[in-house]
Amino acid sequence: MLVRIGLLTDGGYPYATGESRLWCDRLVRGLPQHEFDLFALSRSADQERQGWVRLPDRVGRVRTAPMWTREEDARSPRRTGRFATGLGRSYGRRDRRRFTAHVTALVGAVCAGVETEPGAGGADTRPASARFTDGLYGLAELARDGGGLRDALRSEASVRIVQAACRAPGTGRTVHGATVPDYLAFVAELERALRPLSLDWYEEDGLGGVDLCHAASGGTAALPGLLAKRFFGVPLLVTEHGVPLRAHYLAAPEAPLGAPVRAMLANFHGLLAAEVYRQAAIVTPGNTHVRRWQERFGAHRDKLRTVYPGMEAERFGDVGEGDDAGGPGTLVWIGRIEPAKDLIALLHAFAEVRRAEPDARLRIFGAPVPGAEGETYLAHCRALAAQLFPDEAMDAHTVGDNPVTFEEIGGPEVPDLAEAYAAGGVVILSSVVEGFPISLVEAMFCGRATVSTDVGAVVEVVGGTGVVVPPRNPRALADACVALLRDPERRARLGAAARARALELFTVEQNLAAFRDIYLDLAGHAPARWATPVDPRDPAGPPRPFATPPEAHVLGATRPGPVATRAPAGAGRVPSWAIGATGVCAGARGAGDGDA
Amino acid sequence: MGGPAEVEARGTGSEPADEGPWEVRSAVRAPEIAYHPGRRAAVRRGPADPVKVLMHRHRDLCERAVDPLEIAAGLEAHGLTDRTAARYRHRDVFSLAEELYARVPAAGRSARAHHERPGPDTEARAGWTLTALLPGAACLATAGALRATEGVLGGGARFAVTAAGALLVVLGLRLCLRAGPLRVPAAAGGATLYVCWLLGFAVYGDGLIAQVVSGGPDGHWTAAPAPLLGLSLALAPAAWCAHLFAAHARRRLAGSHGLSEFGARVRPVLFGVVALFLCATTALLYLAGLGHPGPGAGLTGPAALGALLLLARLLAVHGFPEPAATGLAAACAVEVAAPFLVLAGRLPGLDLLARPVDAVVAAAGPGGVAVLACGIAASGLLVHASVTLTRASAHASA
Repeated sequence: MLVRIGLLTDGGYPYATGESRLWCDRLVRGLPQHEFDLFALSRSADQERQGWVRLPDRVGRVRTAPMWTREEDARSPRRTGRFATGLGRSYGRRDRRRFTAHVTALVGAVCAGVETEPGAGGADTRPASARFTDGLYGLAELARDGGGLRDALRSEASVRIVQAACRAPGTGRTVHGATVPDYLAFVAELERALRPLSLDWYEEDGLGGVDLCHAASGGTAALPGLLAKRFFGVPLLVTEHGVPLRAHYLAAPEAPLGAPVRAMLANFHGLLAAEVYRQAAIVTPGNTHVRRWQERFGAHRDKLRTVYPGMEAERFGDVGEGDDAGGPGTLVWIGRIEPAKDLIALLHAFAEVRRAEPDARLRIFGAPVPGAEGETYLAHCRALAAQLFPDEAMDAHTVGDNPVTFEEIGGPEVPDLAEAYAAGGVVILSSVVEGFPISLVEAMFCGRATVSTDVGAVVEVVGGTGVVVPPRNPRALADACVALLRDPERRARLGAAARARALELFTVEQNLAAFRDIYLDLAGHAPARWATPVDPRDPAGPPRPFATPPEAHVLGATRPGPVATRAPAGAGRVPSWAIGATGVCAGARGAGDGDA
Repeated sequence: MGGPAEVEARGTGSEPADEGPWEVRSAVRAPEIAYHPGRRAAVRRGPADPVKVLMHRHRDLCERAVDPLEIAAGLEAHGLTDRTAARYRHRDVFSLAEELYARVPAAGRSARAHHERPGPDTEARAGWTLTALLPGAACLATAGALRATEGVLGGGARFAVTAAGALLVVLGLRLCLRAGPLRVPAAAGGATLYVCWLLGFAVYGDGLIAQVVSGGPDGHWTAAPAPLLGLSLALAPAAWCAHLFAAHARRRLAGSHGLSEFGARVRPVLFGVVALFLCATTALLYLAGLGHPGPGAGLTGPAALGALLLLARLLAVHGFPEPAATGLAAACAVEVAAPFLVLAGRLPGLDLLARPVDAVVAAAGPGGVAVLACGIAASGLLVHASVTLTRASAHASA
């Protein structure tokens, strides 16, 4: 069944510098039986200038909108000078009242905070989330009817509303102490955050024409999806590989904002996230860490389905299925060299390992992170390795070499990544900070036993198929490595179990299969939004969601009409599914008339 | 997952919160791990309150944070997981963050004083001052050249000198208005046309009114170029007044706590700036009039025109181009209407129309029309500016 999916991204997929463009690309290419329409928001002029990646044929329409323009809308020069009221030039009196009411509700909810009891507010005693949604959808309808929301949001009326809301009883101490520059800064940020409301995507041939909205990240990308659900009833699916609120906190804005503005913006994003999770039909976090944050913001457990990001597994197939268990007594570390990876602890652990196993070797594959920090860290590590481990040689007449080697992938010895994993029997991850450990998953694909520190999503990825030690503990790391080096059967067992787990959970196929199931699930449960032909025998019956063939979406296709309205007497029984559908049935009555 | 549970997560004695001797643990150690009996673990006596250590290590983050979730995000970015939070006797990172948020004294959460950034015009002061002086200098040079060559050159050459001077003045004007404190982000369309008409009326208008009132235009009417010279010299004070207004308003913005308070503080600045400009323009016009002892063009009319132009430009610079265009259009309308009313008053039966203009001319001379038109429009714009330019949104820096 053909499903038309609207893929919503924010600084992502079609742009060459977008984040998460790889998995979107795999999704669009991997599900060729569905149609995708792209609705992309761009984050900066630079990103637009870099252009798009090459899109497959399956992508129907691509609509983009910039979120970074600083000028306001072009003002139409009016000869009859309309004196600027406090509000903007385009609103009549009734629209002005609507605007004021909605902005008051929205800003009141934002200033009051996320976790206020309903009875605490002064004039409006509804909970903050209800006021927020009222204000947001009201402004969306206003923008859709008339436009001109951007100018109105930057006018003096909004600043006055923000001042009143900040001084209302029940706001926190931080927000209460805001000054006039804070009001102006917040109004500017609010206008930028609500720019998706003014887009022209919310029409029948835009977001109204898709069966399902798939937001590739939460936050700003999901906002058009919320409005599509509100206006057209399109179900919303949200995929998050990182927590947008976390990213908002950790991102440094261009201009340093004061504490009240940051508090209000944090409240705004929190309320928006809660509303997104409430309205989405299904939310797919990328790992348990993201899932925890989503549950914190009120996502219901029934809606959450963890779909791990998929990775290419074919290039590791030879190494994974092969019998070669790697170099004897060789430990391998692969990754990008930066201080968060804690190679120093690894080197100290290796020193302990050498005391127990004098023949052990450590091979470190990786390039430093671009920048001065990575380079200096690599230099430190090399110096430490040279200090801890003197060169060794077989006897007095051979040239020696260091038991620890720093290599880069792509050299003559190690032409590609799979060879690097094949070089050793045990793969180590010693990071202090980690998100989703990609090198660990690749090691699992290669069927290697792993020793890793308990950070980030490591425990979830490894499951029971590797050894997990606490971070910053070289002795524990060393003990685990020595145990594995001394026991080749255990290594083989763990490696096989790791490869089986990786093939089950982390391949691209399982990712695509999960999304395919979710798409069909949502499309099937959605109310029939296309005009389905009425069942001629039961006109008042329930709608039949699968009654229209896919060609009905194409312009110019005729409406399906009944083939056989009435069974002719004595012509045999016409099955019920032949009544009311355009048939290409060869056995139709009129087909053989000429010959008969 | 199937398969034997191979997870071995052990906390050894290197964390400060662990108590207990190492020797007790050794009895339950898995046999396959090599155990060196000579090794003695370093049992560190940590503080009784491990959260305090964490507070100190992440002091910066905790002070900057505006709510507990920000602290949680920062801690996770540093590698804390739920299992690490268990060491601090919390269920997960969120509750640990809430304790930190509650315990850290709210140093950064109170609104920090804004260090005010100087506006873009303050740094480029030399640039736009020079460009603002250009039109005045060009006009002065032209006038001086014309005076110096009064009897020497013929009509054609004088015309050429005048034309060259006018071109220079216009170019300088465009340069000046493109950057600096008089730069307009989005212009309304008809303003240039109105300004040209008003300037032309300042030069030729008095003579026109005088001739029309006294019986009909008799051909070439006298031109009074002195106002033009004065006004072009007054461009530099105009730029400086606009810059002063913007700078003072921005400074008052940084320190005010309420919108009405800000408005009350900026209104005197606006009136002061306009008054300053009027004084400067009057002085310059007087000097220009001294140099051109022609038919006394009067000081009030061109001064009012200068004030009108300054107010219109201020409104346009701060984002209100339509009221500026309206004010200019109103002044133009009055000035266009005056000769038409007088001429229409000659028609039989319509002499009522010419009465107001005659009254004005009788009271204040032919320059009174310009004074009336520009004065009324300028005061209207001043009232409007005292409402709109004293709003905070007009001075937003974004």
